[in-house]
Amino acid sequence: MSVRTNYTVYESPRLQILSEDQKEKILNGMMRTLQYTGAHVHHEKARELFKKAGCKVDGVTVYFPPEVILKALSTVPPVTEVFPWDGNKEKKVVVEKNRSYFGPGPTPPNFIDTDTMERRKYLRKDANIVARVCDALPNIGFVQSLGSISDVTNDLADVYEFADMVRNTTTPIMSWSFTREGCRDIHRIAIAMAGGEEEFRQRPNYIFYGEPISPLVSDFHAIDKCMYCAENRIPQVYSPCAIGGGTVPATHAGQLVVALSESMVGVIAAQLINPGTCVIIGGVQSILDMRYSIYSYGAPELSLLSSALTEVVQYCGLPMYSQSGCTDTKKMDMQSALEASLSINAAMMSGANFVHDNGYTESGLTGDVFQTVMDDELISMARVIERSFDVNKETLSVDVIDSVGPGGHYLYEDHTMKWFRTYWMPTLMDRNSYEGWVEEGRKTMKDRIIEKTRDLIDNYEGPRGKVPAQADKEIERILQEAEKRAKESESK
Amino acid sequence: MSSDLGKISDALTKGNVDELKEVVQQALDNDAVPADLLNKGLLPGMEAVGQKWKNGEMFMPEVLRCAKAMSGAMDILRPRLAKEDLGSAGKMVIGTVSGDLHDIGKDLAAMMFEGAGYEVVNIGIDQPNEKFVEAAKEHKPTLLGMSALLTTTMPRMGEVINSLKEAGIRDQMAVIIGGAPVTQEFAEEIGADIYAPNAGSAVDLAREYFESKA
Repeated sequence: MSVRTNYTVYESPRLQILSEDQKEKILNGMMRTLQYTGAHVHHEKARELFKKAGCKVDGVTVYFPPEVILKALSTVPPVTEVFPWDGNKEKKVVVEKNRSYFGPGPTPPNFIDTDTMERRKYLRKDANIVARVCDALPNIGFVQSLGSISDVTNDLADVYEFADMVRNTTTPIMSWSFTREGCRDIHRIAIAMAGGEEEFRQRPNYIFYGEPISPLVSDFHAIDKCMYCAENRIPQVYSPCAIGGGTVPATHAGQLVVALSESMVGVIAAQLINPGTCVIIGGVQSILDMRYSIYSYGAPELSLLSSALTEVVQYCGLPMYSQSGCTDTKKMDMQSALEASLSINAAMMSGANFVHDNGYTESGLTGDVFQTVMDDELISMARVIERSFDVNKETLSVDVIDSVGPGGHYLYEDHTMKWFRTYWMPTLMDRNSYEGWVEEGRKTMKDRIIEKTRDLIDNYEGPRGKVPAQADKEIERILQEAEKRAKESESK
Repeated sequence: MSSDLGKISDALTKGNVDELKEVVQQALDNDAVPADLLNKGLLPGMEAVGQKWKNGEMFMPEVLRCAKAMSGAMDILRPRLAKEDLGSAGKMVIGTVSGDLHDIGKDLAAMMFEGAGYEVVNIGIDQPNEKFVEAAKEHKPTLLGMSALLTTTMPRMGEVINSLKEAGIRDQMAVIIGGAPVTQEFAEEIGADIYAPNAGSAVDLAREYFESKA
């Protein structure tokens, strides 16, 4: 047996855009920005918190010295787990470096109706559909709603969404809310699903999504919700939508500096309140289309910026919230598939933790669950490349090559029996013969996506029947109380 | 005179803010007719910029620079112009509604209107309903613009329109609304006059609206 020296195992290939020096420069850019330019924080208590920690506060502007930033970074957890409420280990989310989960995105106002295929306002029934379809899709690792419910009491869209979705999927949800009150309702629902407060602490079952305003503004509700999550140790995202050339500089390095700075405000607040609580940063990184003035969700820059930011965020020791599988097109077409496949592959190779927006169309204004279903297949394809392959004695197969020899074939070799099932198998892509394709009805990709999606909507029940009766009752009570509160505040 | 106009048009289409102010001031010092500087210099310049934008030869940041230059020139020119010289371009009050701190879309629109010769009063972000009404009473605009980026703050736009009605001044101005989640349907629901899907189209849509009313 030969001795192998200097043997390094690369578990996965990675897309590497920045050098160590470049990452450091961007990190220092963030430090300089937060120290000398500062950020607006429209929340008195948060400003007091920062001041006590050693920040300079002037009006609503907070200046963060490097030691405050570094201290916050020293207490972020290296790993956090999020547990499906039914205890299914397969669906457990582990937040740690280089582990990627893909999911849809939050809150577009519109949705592609799954019957008519036309764009309309997002309705309560859509949250149920998205939850169940995502629950069934094997490559969707976390769930967001793809919309903002328009047909329930004003200001309760967030609570209804979570109440409906959590009972229709066990895949961990990334929720959002308008205000702290919504946060509290959602948290109570999550506790009901976990079976109690202590149970939730031991096994958190959802992640909260919050968003500061680019450039460098944390509005009251954004930072207030961030503080609530930290107080209750709810894993949370605090990340902006940075619009290249609009809310941030037109240079990519400059964009990353500002975007990183915006998120860091939430990281610092959360770590000051509850050291060790999980904060995921990053956010939508793309450019303003300078012709139509839309925020492009299909731009190649989205992939470049997100991949580069993933490297910087990892360099800070934080988990990354990235995006892929989204498009600027209005209808399912070749553009939606092309843009989605490019961004999904890039996000996969970047190693970002949570890759959202799989199912966003019309530049983030319309949710489309058909797109999510298509993306699910693309994610599984990209995963093949990311997983790479082993090179060892068994896989080099020199003995089998020798025994089959020149000519012949490998089809019924033991070695083939053992390995061929590791090949990726399509669920949507067509590899039929021409005749077979004709016989099966000449279906296009679009036909197959629609068929698969509608089949799931009609026939996949999801975990609704498994929801404990006690939790169900509690959730209805929380909804009734929220309604009562909404009526009271309206009459005021 | 014609060389002045050439310089004005040149500085404008290049988006040279300071240079444009200088050449407009020089032209005025040389006794140029203010209305000519506007109608034969600045407005045709902006027209050309708009055309280049539509043709894909110029892009948003360049157009905004031109609009900014135009706005600076108008600050110098406006006091020297008679009311009738200003033509259809009137006065606008614009702001982002209460609870909403997003200002980029609103600022883009404001700049585009300034570029079209409007006198724009930008009242800022997170403006309570009554501020819109107060500003409308004070400035008597021909156009009131409102922006929202959040689905939660959109309803404020309808409330502002109701407040304008209660104050008895709704008919004195057209209301234009915009912002990413805002739709034509929503605009009709709350009784706004004009819905602009983006800042770039807002000026044209406003012009079309006023022409249809004229």
